[in-house]
Amino acid sequence: MQSVLGDKKAILILLGPALLVYTLVKLVPVFWSLGLTFYTGNPLSGFEFIGLDNFSRFAEDPQARSALWFTLKYALVLSAGQIVLGYALALLYVFVLRRASTFVRTVVFFPTVLPTVAVALLFNSLFATGQQDGPVNSGLEAAGLSAVDWFSTGTGTFVVAILMELWRSMGFYAVLLYAGLVDIPEETLESARLEGATGWRLVRHVVLPLSLPVLLSSVIFSVNNTLKVFDTLLALNNGGPGGETTPLTLYMYRTVFNYADYGYGSTIAFVLTVMCLLVTLAVFRSARRDITRA
Amino acid sequence: MATLTEVPVRAARAGTPPPRRRAGRTLRRLPVRILVGLLVVAELYPLVWLVLGSFKTQDEFFSKPTWALPESFNLDNYTEAWAAGGLGRNVLNSVLVTVPALAFMIVLGVAAAFALEVMVWKGRGTVLLTFVAGIMIPGQMILVPLFTVYFQAGLTNTLWPLIITYTVMGLPLTVFLMAAYLRAIPREIFESAAVDGAGMLRGFVSIAVPMMRNAIVTVALVEFFSVWNDLLIALTFTTRDELATVQVGLLQFSDEYGSTQYGPLFAAISINVLGILVLYLFLNRQIMAGLAAGSVKG
Amino acid sequence: MSVAKTGRRGWAVRVTAATGAALLLAGCASDGGSGSGGSAPDKFSLLTPAENAIIRDELTTLSKNQCATAEEALPLSSETVAQSDVVQKITLLASQDALPVMFVAGTAQVKPNGDLGKGKLIADYEQTLKDLGVWDDILPAAASTVKSAYGSMASLPFQYNIEGIFYNKKLFADNGVQPPQTWDELVRAAEKFKAAGVVPITEAGSQGWPITRLIGMYIFRSLGPDAMLAIQKGEAKLTDPRYVAAAKAVADLGAAGLFGEGITSRTTDAANAQFLNGQAAMTYNGSWFLANLNDPQQNKVGAENVGFIPFPTVSGGQGNSGQWPANAGAATALATRSYTPKVGDWLKCVAENYGSSVLQNQGVISGFRTNQQVSNVPPLTSQLQEIVSKASETVLWFEALMDAKTTSDAQTNAALLLTGKMTADKYMATLQADLDQAR
Repeated sequence: MQSVLGDKKAILILLGPALLVYTLVKLVPVFWSLGLTFYTGNPLSGFEFIGLDNFSRFAEDPQARSALWFTLKYALVLSAGQIVLGYALALLYVFVLRRASTFVRTVVFFPTVLPTVAVALLFNSLFATGQQDGPVNSGLEAAGLSAVDWFSTGTGTFVVAILMELWRSMGFYAVLLYAGLVDIPEETLESARLEGATGWRLVRHVVLPLSLPVLLSSVIFSVNNTLKVFDTLLALNNGGPGGETTPLTLYMYRTVFNYADYGYGSTIAFVLTVMCLLVTLAVFRSARRDITRA
Repeated sequence: MATLTEVPVRAARAGTPPPRRRAGRTLRRLPVRILVGLLVVAELYPLVWLVLGSFKTQDEFFSKPTWALPESFNLDNYTEAWAAGGLGRNVLNSVLVTVPALAFMIVLGVAAAFALEVMVWKGRGTVLLTFVAGIMIPGQMILVPLFTVYFQAGLTNTLWPLIITYTVMGLPLTVFLMAAYLRAIPREIFESAAVDGAGMLRGFVSIAVPMMRNAIVTVALVEFFSVWNDLLIALTFTTRDELATVQVGLLQFSDEYGSTQYGPLFAAISINVLGILVLYLFLNRQIMAGLAAGSVKG
Repeated sequence: MSVAKTGRRGWAVRVTAATGAALLLAGCASDGGSGSGGSAPDKFSLLTPAENAIIRDELTTLSKNQCATAEEALPLSSETVAQSDVVQKITLLASQDALPVMFVAGTAQVKPNGDLGKGKLIADYEQTLKDLGVWDDILPAAASTVKSAYGSMASLPFQYNIEGIFYNKKLFADNGVQPPQTWDELVRAAEKFKAAGVVPITEAGSQGWPITRLIGMYIFRSLGPDAMLAIQKGEAKLTDPRYVAAAKAVADLGAAGLFGEGITSRTTDAANAQFLNGQAAMTYNGSWFLANLNDPQQNKVGAENVGFIPFPTVSGGQGNSGQWPANAGAATALATRSYTPKVGDWLKCVAENYGSSVLQNQGVISGFRTNQQVSNVPPLTSQLQEIVSKASETVLWFEALMDAKTTSDAQTNAALLLTGKMTADKYMATLQADLDQAR
């Protein structure tokens, strides 16, 4: 049996092209960039070897530190929100709406397809203040509260960014998780029900364990996306006010593309990559362990 | 966990679901109905807002509340967006980039996932991990080396840099998701097929791919949106107006002092979004049909 | 010479970077010399910001009319780049020896010590135009602005903007306010408008630069036109009390609510609309705003009700209001190695015709002399055109002499300064730290 599944030629034909392209276009550039972390300069001015100076600069750079901190905070809050809301929606589709869920599923998924520019424009106008109060501030004032200038503070922008991304992506995670839930055999659920498990207990003890693999994939996917957030924060408030909502990607982008310091930019990207790697490895390991245990 | 592997590929989901208890449901359903209603409104409002905005004049954007109806419904903004913005050309470019990129991504990704998940060989875990690690690398990190290489290869001023870059950027996720889906299909199916005389390649093409059809559509859909909505890579690798994709084209509606022609911009976004919506609704039916048939991983 | 040097050093980096990646190294081994070689360009390739169509539209018009001969010999070929992407794209193109003939570049790049200037990759227009006998077609004020901003004549003044305060005459009359001549009068006037429920001064706070413009102008009025040059040379520091006082003065306007509600997120269009709809009494803006002011559809106030005054003086200051803040648009450089007599023909034609053509067709004031009669110029435009042609001394803007990172921090932190999240001391200290890091 093993010989059939270990057919070398088939493996080469199936895996070869993907591995080749992937190595050439992704891995090599990554190592190339990695090498740049020991240099300062850009392709035009030339590069100068500076050893580990970029790393010590990163450690002392207050902007880098605040970007790092912000990235972690953003990723944690948003990923938690995406998974929880996405899972709740998926449960709603499968157990409450069931066959009627198609329409709701389509509608809730819809914002995922919108260009970031459009979504940012929308949320800018929803939360606007001043001469042209948006619906949110109008609502606050109608409720007897005072209007909030959301985009003038880091916290305000953070709140709007999280709401905006949840609004946009929960439908996506719902569909991703739905695909895992819909496959739970009806017989399994029915027998659990006969044993008296209903509602929350059914979800906690039967549904959750069965959908764990898809859940873990979603977590990996979500965390990696939120750690790499870029255009959302750029479009919403330009990473501001000041640098208060500037994530590492945006700081890296500015360092390379606007300040033309490729070496330091690569260093920032390297730190981000290591962060993503650690988080994913942790999740991936636990996922793998679960699979093999089964 | 055990149940997942114990339950093999079911021939088909039972035509009618077993009866669930319906008594007393109606009353309990009411709060859910309201909740779902609110959800639908919250998700659909922006579409309405966007389309209404596409009929407004620049003046209306600043003198009327954002939820006000436009004063007139004429197509000026649409003509402006289509003609001056070169939207037609942009849409064509986006299609010319997205379709080949998705095709390459899926073909390469599914084949690789099969070799990594179903086939048994030494080092496959490491290779799979290498692919998955790609999900973590920020796109900004590889742009500079790639630009140099594309330039040396004489590919700038074509759409190839975009196609190649998108293909590779999407590959890790495709491999990762496909491997996850394949994990649920018992290997015995392929082994018995191989014993019957069909090689593993045949097994892949005639058994795995059909079984994976819906997973493929789902992954393609996910990748489609990330490619279609990308701005970073498109900005870096397009130099000429003739090569601009939709997202790059949207920049044309702003000037260098930060002023934006909102009407035509909204019109352009509306055309873009409605086009995608039609496509999504079409593909959505495919996925639904597939899911109902229960052919995805058991 | 220096191109070759860059190429070789780039090689070394790549060897280190891609150890073990022999495949790719083979692919880029030709780096550093090949490219398009030293051959003459077969097109007049022009790279301009996607967001600004003025130059490419006008050159296209010229190519069909006055410059048809030049066009025939060397056809115009226009490419665009997003403004946010300019520095990166030029860096990459230049490192590949693939610069277009004429191209937009980052301010810091074209300076004599910048990446392009250092490598002598870009031409000095003064010498080139003198050789062509058309240097007189550049207005002296515009030439001086370009030279002080970029350190040499590294750019052509395709646009020549002066800046000042536009005010609503009607609102001023209704509230019994005279156009302010000093900063103190400006603040008093603004307070009066605020009490009357009018937005005193509107600016596009989300953009950052309209705010830093105010800081810069306060500095020029208070410390004289060379104040920012002293910073660049290291003779003074932004943390010196009189510099901090400028940031403090602008921060105080913000704290007193004299920019109206939501200043930090106000977009360019929102700010413009506030002024054009008569909701705001004043706005500090540049002559590009004329396009909106002269459009009756947008300008509900009426062009005749809009006045224009220079930035006010600061009591005890060394600057005066005759020193107009000016800029000549984004740096538009000429690649040295693509220069041929055919390119020269293009330049000559542009120098002779662009000024009147762009004013006639697009109502844009440029730093080129208007050699032909231009008809139907709106009064407000003539008023500013008059100031431009008579201006004897101009000053730059706050960030003009700063590197890219300091510029970016100055603009992004402006919002924090206005809301009081960052003190004037901290604001200036951050920028000075950036300047020190760059040095």
